[in-house]
Amino acid sequence: MEETIKKESLSDVISDIPADTEEETRDLKRCLVFESGGLVLFLSTEYVIEIINDHAITSLPVVPDYVRGIINLRGQILPVVDIRKMMGKEAADYNSKTCIIVLNIDSVPIGIVADNVRSVLDIDMNEIHPLPLHHPQKLANGMLKLDDGTVAMSFDCHALVQG
Amino acid sequence: MDESMLEAYLFEENELLDKLDEMLMSDEKEGDFSTDDVNEIFRIMHTIKGSSAMMSFNSISTIAHKIEDLFFFIRDKGIDFVSAADKKDLFDLMFKSEDRLRAEIEKVENGEPLTENVDDFIATVSAFLDRLKKDEVKGESDAAASASSGNAGSVPGTEKDPGAPEKAQTADAADGSAVSNIDNTAAVNAKLAGLPEDAAAQQFIHIFLEEGVGMENLRAYMIVNALQDCGIPFRTYPEHMDSDPSTAQQIIDNGFFLAFDQADDCQKALGILKSQNHIRSFEVIDAPRPAEEKKEAVPANSPEKKSSGAPASSAPQKNTQKAKSTSETAKKATPIKQSLISVNLQKLDSLMNLVGEIVITESMVTSSPVLKMLPQEAYDNFNKSARQLRKLTDDLQDISMSLRMVPISGVFQKMNRIVRDMKSKLGKDVKLTIVGEETEVDKSIVDSIQDPIMHIVRNSMDHGIEATAAERIRAGKNPQGEIILSASHTSSEVVISVTDDGYGMDYKTILDKAEQKELLTKPKSSYSPREALNLILLPGFSTNKEVTEYSGRGVGMDVVKKNVEAVGGAVRIDSEYGKGTTITLKIPLTMAIVDGMKVTVGDSIFTIPISNINQSFKVTAGDIILDEYGNEMIERMGNFYPIVRLGRFYNIPSKYDANVEEGIMIWLEAGDKSCVLYADDLIGEQQVVVKPLPTYFNNYDLKNVGISGCTILGDGNISIILDVAGIYAAAVENA
Repeated sequence: MEETIKKESLSDVISDIPADTEEETRDLKRCLVFESGGLVLFLSTEYVIEIINDHAITSLPVVPDYVRGIINLRGQILPVVDIRKMMGKEAADYNSKTCIIVLNIDSVPIGIVADNVRSVLDIDMNEIHPLPLHHPQKLANGMLKLDDGTVAMSFDCHALVQG
Repeated sequence: MDESMLEAYLFEENELLDKLDEMLMSDEKEGDFSTDDVNEIFRIMHTIKGSSAMMSFNSISTIAHKIEDLFFFIRDKGIDFVSAADKKDLFDLMFKSEDRLRAEIEKVENGEPLTENVDDFIATVSAFLDRLKKDEVKGESDAAASASSGNAGSVPGTEKDPGAPEKAQTADAADGSAVSNIDNTAAVNAKLAGLPEDAAAQQFIHIFLEEGVGMENLRAYMIVNALQDCGIPFRTYPEHMDSDPSTAQQIIDNGFFLAFDQADDCQKALGILKSQNHIRSFEVIDAPRPAEEKKEAVPANSPEKKSSGAPASSAPQKNTQKAKSTSETAKKATPIKQSLISVNLQKLDSLMNLVGEIVITESMVTSSPVLKMLPQEAYDNFNKSARQLRKLTDDLQDISMSLRMVPISGVFQKMNRIVRDMKSKLGKDVKLTIVGEETEVDKSIVDSIQDPIMHIVRNSMDHGIEATAAERIRAGKNPQGEIILSASHTSSEVVISVTDDGYGMDYKTILDKAEQKELLTKPKSSYSPREALNLILLPGFSTNKEVTEYSGRGVGMDVVKKNVEAVGGAVRIDSEYGKGTTITLKIPLTMAIVDGMKVTVGDSIFTIPISNINQSFKVTAGDIILDEYGNEMIERMGNFYPIVRLGRFYNIPSKYDANVEEGIMIWLEAGDKSCVLYADDLIGEQQVVVKPLPTYFNNYDLKNVGISGCTILGDGNISIILDVAGIYAAAVENA
């Protein structure tokens, strides 16, 4: 099940799936499923630009610790946020599975550090339930059970940039 | 005449005419002018008039001036005032004017002499304007009254008005060939100023009575009587004020006129008027005269030039100058074809960015460690090509930088105008000397320093130069004041200075003043003269007790400082009491590329703009002085400066935090702020392309902690660019 998706293969996967062939009641969206801090998260692929591995991050002083710093992506300077830390979890050492998912959220380019990228799935937006908790969540704004039985949280991109 | 100036002029003119053409075409399709377009045409004509007059292309400036008058009128009344039939004629007229202007410009381009006589065209425009005015007179005398009283005698449509005094030269009825035109134009001008039609009059006095005195016609008549008692011949408008009570309202709205056949009589009358009661204001107006080039065409007919009202005094001189340079232009018959295009600044910005990237990528490729694996011969060949590539990229960088550079002369020339205007307003005799106007500066910087320079020049004119020539002579100076505006280059910055030889500033007075305004932040006695002078850059400081039209609202120098600092520059004030003042602006050549010094703290690399670095040096622990809170200071050149440990400030583990002998001290200065930065190591100097931080960081206000941007180093790593003023503010002032 686990596979690290490279930039090229990602677009292949996306184009393989025809759009809107399902019934009216289903609101399918292609979503990228990834792991961070023990949680399985997913977000719509419309925000995803690419996934990169092994990139030197320049740290910035005086910003909150979840902001890892900035990277040079072919001349473009991108901020990188460690969502694991943003959710208040212990920082983990970066390993070969660790990668940076480059997103473009409302034309704000930003990279997030994920422990592992799983796959791209079609997810029915109508099946997402709100979290049955009263604590406001920082980055998760819904949940859903995947076909293989794992529970995944919907990743709130807008909360990330407003953060 | 300067060739580059001519080139810029032609470029500007053609661009304006193209714009006009485009506007006319689209408006004609609509069949109507929009209010915006009327304003725009007015502005275009105003600009053409101004720059043509500057270049001494009189025919062009006269035509533009006439159309400007026309559009002033239309703008004033609103375009809806013009009837549909008139609009059609107006379009025809405008197209004709455009063609006419183009024809003249073409002559300039080909180096041919310009048409000397454009009266026929002027008459056409005047006739049209007359027609519009007749429509207006039929029932809108009120509006006219307010317009003319608001403008108090000067010809409307020429607020800046170099043309008006020229036009207001003495009437020259002898010029037979142009009599009809004169009448025509004179009538137009007369109406513009609200002047009565009186062909024989040389000068008018326009008198307003105090508001609400009552029985205005009779009071006016009393004044008239008083003058008649002195035996001065003149005529009054309106006539029969004594017997016709309805003239009272007219006098309230428009004032009344006295018409004199001789200027001498007018001068005598002025003396008597001064002793009369109930006069709110009066003003001498020269009788209207048709456009000035007629005089140049038939100089023999020129009557004696009068020096009457102050506004007309500079005109004769100007005319002769013009006549001279026209002939110069005519002599020079070399065709000058313009070779300029205008480019969107954004495109230039992205070009600059790309070129910056290419330079960096080039050094990444040529210094790649993989090359070491090549066999020696291949490696040599590679190096040869690499050197060639470097030369090309360097050239490319130079050229792309130079694209954005424009000479500063445009800004300086505007100062000429300001000095000229203020000279007559303030009654000071001042010479403006311009040095180094060909100095080139980044376009975006030129735009942002124009206002500061203008402000400083105004200040110098208003407060700097002595009020009277007598005062200057007493101080042992040349009775004519001088303001020197100069620009020059150093390797990385442009230095612009404004020097006046006026009063100079007394730092003790400044300190007193600052104390009154509670601007002092430390004991008065501990201010050095330089620090005291810098107080005038604070918001709310203004040394003049009275606010004048030009300066002295107390918003001056702090705005100058803000604008200059916004483009990364600094303001410096030098002044010697009694001798004069120099204000120097140092502005980086461009903000896109910075000469930087790379320093390390722990694993981070920071870049400090070299222009901010005074010195770097090693210290021993004994050199560091502590205050009662344990803040560190160090002595440099007799002064003490706070030490900012970059590692501690940014919370980065520093390699040599414990023993300062290993690290390096860097003495920084930004404007009047100075401190010493402690870092681990200096790596070296490098030109870097400044990139803004990603928008994501806008929330974190990094500017306030001294981070102004970042740059990509040769190896692809990122270095953070420090802003010295920001560090000082955060680490020293607000610590």
